[in-house]
Amino acid sequence: MNAEEIRELIRLAQESGVAELEVQRGENRVRIRLAVAPAALDFVVPPLQAQAPPLNSQPTQAAAAAKQAEVEAEANVLYVKSPIVGTYYESPAPGSPAFVKVGDQVSPGQVLCIIESMKLMNEIESEVSGVVLRKLVENGRPVEYGEALFAIRAS
Amino acid sequence: MTRRIHRYGTVDSTMRIAAGYAALGCPPGTVVVANEQTAGTGRFGRRWHSEKGTGLYLSQVLRPDVPGDRLPVVTLALALATGDAIARASGVICDLRWPNDVVAGGRKCAGILVQLQDRALIAGIGINVNHAAFPEELAGSATSLRIVSGREHSRDALLDELLESIDTYMRLFEAEGTEPILRLFAAASSYVQGRRVVVEQPQGMLAGVTDGLDPVGFLWLRTETGRELIVSGGVRPCS
Repeated sequence: MNAEEIRELIRLAQESGVAELEVQRGENRVRIRLAVAPAALDFVVPPLQAQAPPLNSQPTQAAAAAKQAEVEAEANVLYVKSPIVGTYYESPAPGSPAFVKVGDQVSPGQVLCIIESMKLMNEIESEVSGVVLRKLVENGRPVEYGEALFAIRAS
Repeated sequence: MTRRIHRYGTVDSTMRIAAGYAALGCPPGTVVVANEQTAGTGRFGRRWHSEKGTGLYLSQVLRPDVPGDRLPVVTLALALATGDAIARASGVICDLRWPNDVVAGGRKCAGILVQLQDRALIAGIGINVNHAAFPEELAGSATSLRIVSGREHSRDALLDELLESIDTYMRLFEAEGTEPILRLFAAASSYVQGRRVVVEQPQGMLAGVTDGLDPVGFLWLRTETGRELIVSGGVRPCS
């Protein structure tokens, strides 16, 4: 089985939404296990760049990153990601307290931050009940479409 | 578009009231208009000066049928709509300062703020119509249609023109996408190309010369260190 065939299998596994795929051809056997369980796809998942290690990284690092993603998926950690390109603000106005801080309990509909794009102020709300594990962006920084903003452990 | 107009006398903020209607699931097009705001909402909790009986202070709930990542272009469409409505109702020809300040004689005569919440856009528009003067801290940056044209104007006629105009631009945006909005904006604004400006960024002021819009509507700025794409922040002219 060559690299192209394996890539094709990975694509198939991703498109079909199965968590695990095992294929045997002659003596070759390949098992593909997606790091994020399909059930979690209903929620926000970390953007590709946060999950995928750089191409030149060592396999051990890649494995560690995959392991980390797996552990977090299992531990019910959801990533809130930016729906637009814009500027990230952690508080409603300069100098006022942040909407949330690490360790805060949040509930569905609670505002977590604002992403501004061309004077469109986009209030980002939590979709779940949980605890803010990490704030991933510094106040006032630009964010990309789909960039992870918060890690939240759903309760 | 359904157009329900809720008229108020004195309110704290039309944005807050419109957000309340949006949260209750009001139809798109719902308008809240007030004669006076005691806490008119601006960007980052700033206040919009809303003198009683002189300006047009309104918020409209919009639910445009466009992909979510294109929604920011609505702010450019609203600037175009406001500029057109002012021209038709008062004869005052305005410049548009990216992304959505409406400017006459170099000073701001209308401001636009859009909030996305509860899956609806709340578009707040304040137009300085019949103000004779402004408080000292605004005098250098604000103007009114009355100051520019030398006569008073009907706020009701302006409201009619504005709602009609917003409707037209939103339908254009929904039907044809971003491109015609950006083209019309670039034609209506002296700030899109070749203008020396400073841009307020979270890290400080950035100076440069404007260099067109990117396909999303963001502003290119040529600075001493290279070309920067501005996605948010106020733009000011500089000499």
